[in-house]
Amino acid sequence: MPIVTATLALIIFAAGVLAGSLGALLGIGGGIFLVPFLNIGLNLPLQAAAAISLTTVIATSSSVSAGRAGKQVINMRLGMVLEVATAAGSLLGGVTAQMLPQSALQMLFGVMSAIVAVIMLSRLGRRNVILDPTVEPGLLGGRFHEHESGGTVTYRVKRLPVALVASFLAGQVSSLLGVGGGVIKVPVLNAWCGIPMRAAAATSAFMIGVTATAGAVIYYGHGLLVPELAAAAVLGVQLGSWGGMHFGARASAKWLKVLMAGVLVVVSVLMFGRGIR
Amino acid sequence: MSAPAVVRLERIIGVVLRVGVTASSVGLALGLALLLVGAPASSLFLQIGIIVLLATPVARVVVSIVEYAVERDWTFTVLTLVVLAELAASLMAAMYGRKL
Repeated sequence: MPIVTATLALIIFAAGVLAGSLGALLGIGGGIFLVPFLNIGLNLPLQAAAAISLTTVIATSSSVSAGRAGKQVINMRLGMVLEVATAAGSLLGGVTAQMLPQSALQMLFGVMSAIVAVIMLSRLGRRNVILDPTVEPGLLGGRFHEHESGGTVTYRVKRLPVALVASFLAGQVSSLLGVGGGVIKVPVLNAWCGIPMRAAAATSAFMIGVTATAGAVIYYGHGLLVPELAAAAVLGVQLGSWGGMHFGARASAKWLKVLMAGVLVVVSVLMFGRGIR
Repeated sequence: MSAPAVVRLERIIGVVLRVGVTASSVGLALGLALLLVGAPASSLFLQIGIIVLLATPVARVVVSIVEYAVERDWTFTVLTLVVLAELAASLMAAMYGRKL
């Protein structure tokens, strides 16, 4: 475990600010940026990095969702259904984290995020929304006001089993690598399940609190969570996600998709590179 | 679940999340500040902050179960109960894992 110094705490706080703002902007939590930085940049063991990151994912999810609750952009019914799958995946991932070779999983993660990036970019023109507000959204669909078009967006959920499988995998990756899992869920929900980007990102951000908790509890119980460093990261991410949320409200869905695809490529290279070493 | 009930559930969840994340942030900030000045109480505040942080999503799930049950939406009551059971299982895994 790393030696806690004021300098280290300060660096992690600053990294948290940056990760938090990017995470809130993309609706995927800051973990995807924080884990590689803590592991590769600061040389923390991957498990310590993952544990710290999971606590920031919980904080981001809670604060971002608290700000969005009541605006109907979070699809809570869908979120609760998919949480059954993410929490199961997260539990399994947390338990098997010590049994499986990490390199194989990192390479798998690298391959998977590259595939998701390709899917995202190939479907940029698709909006996957029904602009007629009289359309019935069904049991799990949703309806929310979109500022960009000034209209009410209504959508139905397609291919629920696909969403459940993606959520289960996202939960596993979340616990194993300390990320929110939104990198897997959001593109799948948007590209294959008919959910608009904004709703997919908001619902994912809502869910990852529960997902990350199922994993973080296991790390905490194993004594792998350094509270001092987690505190620095959580406070930094809180500040960053507050800033990112204000900026994110004005970002367009298309720009968000391109940015997210770029992020996925970087994450893919980092994870794959670490896996084959 | 009726439309007003959905809005009420969203509001309650919003409050739970805000209170939880604020309380844990205050605990973590105090803990970190006390650590920097070398006060021994720092670890207590840090532990409280972490535990409140971890408990917040659990509280959100519990609140949802209660609200769905009050609304007699049994499908979602059962679904959220399953999520709570999974969180309980992860706590068991954390405690069992420590013995290894």
